[in-house]
Amino acid sequence: MTVVIGVDVGGTFTDLVMRDQADGQVIVGKVPTTPQDPEVGVLNAVDAVLTPEHLSRSSHFLHGTTVGLNALIERRGATVGLITTAGFRDVLEIGRGDRPDPYDLRPRPKDPLVPRRRRVEVTERTRADGQVVTPLDLSDVASIVESFATESVDAIAVVLINSYTNPHHELLLEAELRRCGYEGDISLSHRVSGEYREYERTTTTVIDAFVRHRMGPYLRRLRDGLAERGFVGELLITRSGGGALTVEEALQRPFETILSGPVAGAAATARLAQAMSLPLAIPADVGGTSFDTAAIVDGRLPLNFEGDVEGLPLQCPWVDVRSIGAGGGSLAHVDEGGLLRVGPRSAGAIPGPACYQRGGVQATVTDAALALGMLASGALSGGVGLDLAAAHRVLDDLVESSGLPDRVSVAQGIMRIAASHMAEAVRGITVEKGVDLRAGALVAFGGAGPLFASLLALEMDVDTVVIPSNAGNFSAVGLMQSDVSRSAARTLLRPLSPHIMQEVVDVATDLGLSFGPATDADSYELLLDLRYRGQEHSLTIALPWALGEQTPPIELIESKFEAEYHASYGLNLPESVELVNVRVQRHTRLNVSREAVSAPRWNGATGLVERPVWSFTQAEWLLTPVIERTDLPKEGMVGPVLIVEQTATTVVDFGFGVRPGEQESLVVTRDRGART
Amino acid sequence: MTLLSWMNPAEAVVSSSSRSVSTGIGDTADPITTEIIRQGLNAAAEHMKRTVIRTAFSPIIYEALDFAVALYDADMSMLAQAPTLPSFMGTLGFCVEAAVTAVGGSQALGPGDVVLYNDPFGTGTHPQDAAMVVPIFACDTLVGYAVIKAHWLDIGGKDPYCTDTVDVFQEGTIFPGVKLYEGDQVVDSIYRMVLANSRIPDAVIGDINAMVAGARSGGAALTRIVERYGLEEFRHCVARIYDHGEAMVRHWFEQLPDGEYSAHSVIDGDGVVGTPIPFEVTVRVHGSSVTVDYTKAPDQTVGPINSPLPSTVAVSRLAVAYLVGNEAPNEGHFRALEVLTRPGSIFHPVRPAPSFMYGVPSDHAIELIINALAAALPELVPAASGGDICALVWWGTREGTGEPWADGAPHPVGLGASPQGDGASTMMFHSESATRFTPAEIWEARNPWIIEQCALAQDSGGVGMFRGGLGLNLSFRVIEDCYITVAIARTKLRPWGLEGGGEGRPNDLVIEYPDGRTESHSLSTRVTLPKGTLVHLRTGSGGGHGDPAEREISSVRSDLTEEYISLEHAYTHYPHAL
Repeated sequence: MTVVIGVDVGGTFTDLVMRDQADGQVIVGKVPTTPQDPEVGVLNAVDAVLTPEHLSRSSHFLHGTTVGLNALIERRGATVGLITTAGFRDVLEIGRGDRPDPYDLRPRPKDPLVPRRRRVEVTERTRADGQVVTPLDLSDVASIVESFATESVDAIAVVLINSYTNPHHELLLEAELRRCGYEGDISLSHRVSGEYREYERTTTTVIDAFVRHRMGPYLRRLRDGLAERGFVGELLITRSGGGALTVEEALQRPFETILSGPVAGAAATARLAQAMSLPLAIPADVGGTSFDTAAIVDGRLPLNFEGDVEGLPLQCPWVDVRSIGAGGGSLAHVDEGGLLRVGPRSAGAIPGPACYQRGGVQATVTDAALALGMLASGALSGGVGLDLAAAHRVLDDLVESSGLPDRVSVAQGIMRIAASHMAEAVRGITVEKGVDLRAGALVAFGGAGPLFASLLALEMDVDTVVIPSNAGNFSAVGLMQSDVSRSAARTLLRPLSPHIMQEVVDVATDLGLSFGPATDADSYELLLDLRYRGQEHSLTIALPWALGEQTPPIELIESKFEAEYHASYGLNLPESVELVNVRVQRHTRLNVSREAVSAPRWNGATGLVERPVWSFTQAEWLLTPVIERTDLPKEGMVGPVLIVEQTATTVVDFGFGVRPGEQESLVVTRDRGART
Repeated sequence: MTLLSWMNPAEAVVSSSSRSVSTGIGDTADPITTEIIRQGLNAAAEHMKRTVIRTAFSPIIYEALDFAVALYDADMSMLAQAPTLPSFMGTLGFCVEAAVTAVGGSQALGPGDVVLYNDPFGTGTHPQDAAMVVPIFACDTLVGYAVIKAHWLDIGGKDPYCTDTVDVFQEGTIFPGVKLYEGDQVVDSIYRMVLANSRIPDAVIGDINAMVAGARSGGAALTRIVERYGLEEFRHCVARIYDHGEAMVRHWFEQLPDGEYSAHSVIDGDGVVGTPIPFEVTVRVHGSSVTVDYTKAPDQTVGPINSPLPSTVAVSRLAVAYLVGNEAPNEGHFRALEVLTRPGSIFHPVRPAPSFMYGVPSDHAIELIINALAAALPELVPAASGGDICALVWWGTREGTGEPWADGAPHPVGLGASPQGDGASTMMFHSESATRFTPAEIWEARNPWIIEQCALAQDSGGVGMFRGGLGLNLSFRVIEDCYITVAIARTKLRPWGLEGGGEGRPNDLVIEYPDGRTESHSLSTRVTLPKGTLVHLRTGSGGGHGDPAEREISSVRSDLTEEYISLEHAYTHYPHAL
C-alpha cells in the first residue's frame, strides 16, 4: 500500500498525479473534464494512466470535486423544504437587499433555492440570550410533513431564529419530524453552522440540504467505480477550509466541499513554504481563465469563515484564495475610450486563443506570449500545435484602435496589463494582511504561471519566484499531501475575560468531541474570533490547544490579537476585546510522504537551442537559450533563458537568474544590479 | 469655472460639472502604462474601502456602507473612487476643495495631517456625514488627497437623527475644515471637541480611527504609484485617464436621443410645514453632452428637506449612470454632464437652511430623472420603486447597564417593473444600492428588540403585464423604553406604474403602543417608545409595467402558488388568468 493518487477536476482538464512511495515512481495524466458526470472524467484519467496493480497498492485516493459547486450553478439539487420561526419565512428571499451590481437599475434576482410555497413557519421564539420566550408548538408538524410529501420534498432544512445560542427547538423539531414519519435528510442550522446572522445561516443550511442530493450519488458512484478497478484504500475529498474529509464525512457535510476548487494549489504552496522556510509565499496559479492567489504567512493556510458561492453567502471555513479573471485565455480588446484592456472575459477552452486554431478570433494572453517568443512551440496544454500566424493576425487587429505603433507593442502591452491585474490582486491581499509583499516569494504554477515569472516579479517588485516541480500539475500534487481535517464553530458573544475561559474550553471540547474520539495522529487547533467591543468584523486568532485542555493564558490571547490587529490595520484601540466565535479544527496526518514529487523528464526541448524572445526588462528581442528543466545546471544560469517542461514554460528574463532550489523547485531571482 | 461659486448665493443660475477639462498632455502618455496606473488607482481606492469596512465600529458603516472613499490629484480632480454609497460618491470633490480651502490651501498641509470637515454646504449632506481629507506626498511633493466621508451615528444635533430642524445649527456640531491630526499627531483640542459633542463618543472614536486608517492606506498606495513612475509620467498618464473617462461617458451619452425631457412629482412635505411640495426636473441631451436642470425647483424649505449642491450634482451623475452605463469613475467621467441649479432652492439651499433630510429631494430626483428619460429610452426605464431608503434611527439607555445605545438603518423597498420583467422585491433604493440590510440576529444581539416579523408583503406589488416588486413588512417589539426618529419619505405619493401598469403601495410606519393606541408616521423626530411597543414598518413596493390584462397566465398562477398575490387580488386584477 505505497501508492497515493491525487485527482483534481478543473474547468477544462482533469489532472491526475500518482506517486509510488516505494520506488519514487511518478505518473501524471490529463484528460478532458466531463462536466455532466465528473466521475467519468476521473475514472477516465485513472484508466488512461494507471493499472489495476497501481490501484490495488493505493492507500489513499485524494480528490477535489466541483460537484457541489456545479449543483448550485446549475440549480440542480434536492427539492428542499424549509422550516423557519414564525414571521421569518421570507428570510431566504429577502436576503440583504443589496444588488450584485450596484448600478443595475433593473436587477433580476435568481429564484430562491427554496420557493415560497415550500417555506413554512412554526410558532416558537428564542431570544438572543438563549431564553425561550415562546415555546415550540409542535401541533403543525404532522401537516407540514404531509404538505412536504405532496411537494416531493426530499430534504428538510430547519432554521430557527437565535438557534445558534440555544438549539433546543431545532432538536425538538427534528425528533418530531421523524416521529411523524419523515425519512429524508434533515439539516439543522445549528449543526451546519452554529454562527449568528440568520440569512447567512439559512442559505448555508439550505445549500447543505440542496447539494447533498447530488454529492451523495456522485461520491457513491466514484467509490464504486474505484472499487471495481481494484482500489481498496481510503477515498478522501478536499475541503474548502483545507485538508480533506473522509467520504463518509463529505456525505454528511457536503457544503464544506463547495469552495474547494482553488484550495489544493494554495495548500501545496503552504507545504512548499514550510519545507523551504518561506516567511511569505504568494501562490500565482495562472490557468486558462483565472488567476488564483493568496497570502501564505509562515506556511499557514489563510482561512476565512464567510464565503460566497453563486451570490449566496456560505458560513463555512474556506481558504482565502482570491480569484480574478486573468489567465492564458483572457481576451484583449480596445474599449470605447480607446484604451487597451485585458479580461475579465476569457476565450475559455472553446474557442480558446486564436493560436489554438479552434475558431478563436480575438487576441488572448496566450497569443501575445506566443508572438513574443515566450512559448516554446507546443509547450502549452499538452502539445496542442500553436499557430504563430493566427496569433499575429489577431494582434494586428488591435494595432490601429489601441494607438500603439505595432504588433509587438500590443503583445507586450497585453502581457503587462494582465500581469498588473494579477499584481493588484496580490497587493490587495498583502496590504490587507499587513505583510510586506517585497519580502515575499512568488510561487508560480498552473499552465501559464511560470510564463509570467519574471513579469510578475517586476510588476509586484518582488525578488524571488519559486517554480515548483510539476508546475503545471502542482494542484493535483498538492492534493496528495493533504491532512484529514474537520472543523466546527459556535457563536459565543462574551467580553474576553478570565471568567469566560472555562466556558470557552467547554464549548471547544464539545465541538472537538463532535468529530469523534481523538487518536494519536490527531492535532487540534483552537481558533477564536475576536474584535474590539463595539466592532462587528472580527479577526481569527489561532491557538495551540489539546482536546479538553485549558486554553493558553488570556494575556497571550490578548497580545496575539493586538499584534495581528496592528499588523492588519496599523493601530490598536483602547477598547476591551470581545469574543464572537469559538472554532475548533482537527487535523489527522496521513501516512503519506511529504517529499517533493519529481517531474518526469519531458524531452520537449529537443532540437531547440536558441530563439528570439522579447525581453521586458530590455524592451528588445534577445536571443534566448531554451533548455529542458531537468538539464538546468546546478550552479544555475543567468537570464534570458526559457526553461521547458511537459506542462509549463518558465520565462527567465534578462536581469534575473535561475537555479535549482530545494524541493526540486526552480528559484528565479532578480538581480537588482543588472543593467535594465 | 470654480466649484466654489456655490458658496456665494447669487440670483444667477449656477452650473457645476467637472473641475477638469482636457489639456491634451495625456496624448503623449503611453497607453499601457496609463491602463496599469488606472488599475492601480482603482485598486488603491478599493483597498481604502475595505480597510474602513473592516475596522469601523458602527453598523451604519460596515453593514450599511454609509460612506464613500476616493483619491484626488493635487488639482483636486478625482483619480479613483471605490463603489460605496452611490449618492455619496459624487460629493467628495466638494469636500476636498472646501476642506483644503478652509485650512488655508494646500501649502498649509504637511505629511500626516488629517482635515476634518462636515459642513453640509460642502459635504452635500448633513453634519453627521464627516469627511476626512488627507494630503498625500511623494517625491517631496503634494501629489493628491485621500478622502473618506462616512456617517457618524451622532455629532450633537438636537436629536441623534432629525426630521424637524429649521436651521443648520440644530443639526449637529460643525467642523468647518480643521486639522484633526497634524504631522501624525492627533490635535487633542479638536479630538476632545468631537467627543464632547457626541452622544455616543465610543462609536465615533472607533469610526474616526477606521477612517484615518483607510485614508492612510490610500495615501500609501498613491505614493507608491507616483514613486514608481515618477511625477512627470504619472501626470501625463493621469491626464490620459481623465480623457479616457470622458470618452467613455461621451460614447454612452451619444446613444441618447437629443431632446429635452421633463418630469414632475410631489414631495409629501418638509417635516415642519405639512403642505405637499411639487417640483420638476428637466434633462437636455445634445450630442454627447447632458444637462440636468433644476432651476425650476421650489424655494428652499423651512424644514430640512433641502439638498445642498454637492448632493444634487451627485445624484444627477448617479441617475444618468444608472441609465447609460458606468465603470469605476474618475474626474473625466464628469466632464460631459452639467447640472443647473438655482441658489435658494431645495436643490441648492443657502446657509443657514436645514438639510438633515437632504435625501428626500435628492433620492426623489434620481427616480424623476430616470422617469423623464422614459420617453427617450422606453426599453430601459422601470416604473417607480418604493422610492426611499426608509431610515429608522433608535436610541436609549440600556436597562441593565445604563449604557447609551443607538442604531440606525435604511430598509429595502420593492423596485418597479420594467419591459424586461417583474420588479425585484425588497431591494435597497437606488441611492443606497450597495447597502446591506441588517440580519435580525445581529440586531437582537445588540439592541433591546425582538423582531416579530420580516416578510414580503403579499399583494403589494403594482399590477401589470410585469408586476412591481413587493415591499417589506418588518415589525420590531421594543423590550426596553427607547426613542425612535422616523425618516420615511414617499408615504403619500404612490409609486407610479408605466405603460398602463398599476401603482405600488407607498411607504408607511405604524406604532402600536402597549395601551392599544396606533399612530402612523413619516417624518417624526424623537418619538418615545415605551417598553412593549410594536413598530410596524411597511415599505413601499414597485409600480407595475404594462396592462395587467396582458400578464402571462402562468405568471399569475405562479404568483398565486407562491402566495405573492392572494386569490382575491388575482380575481380583481387578473381575471383573465383564472
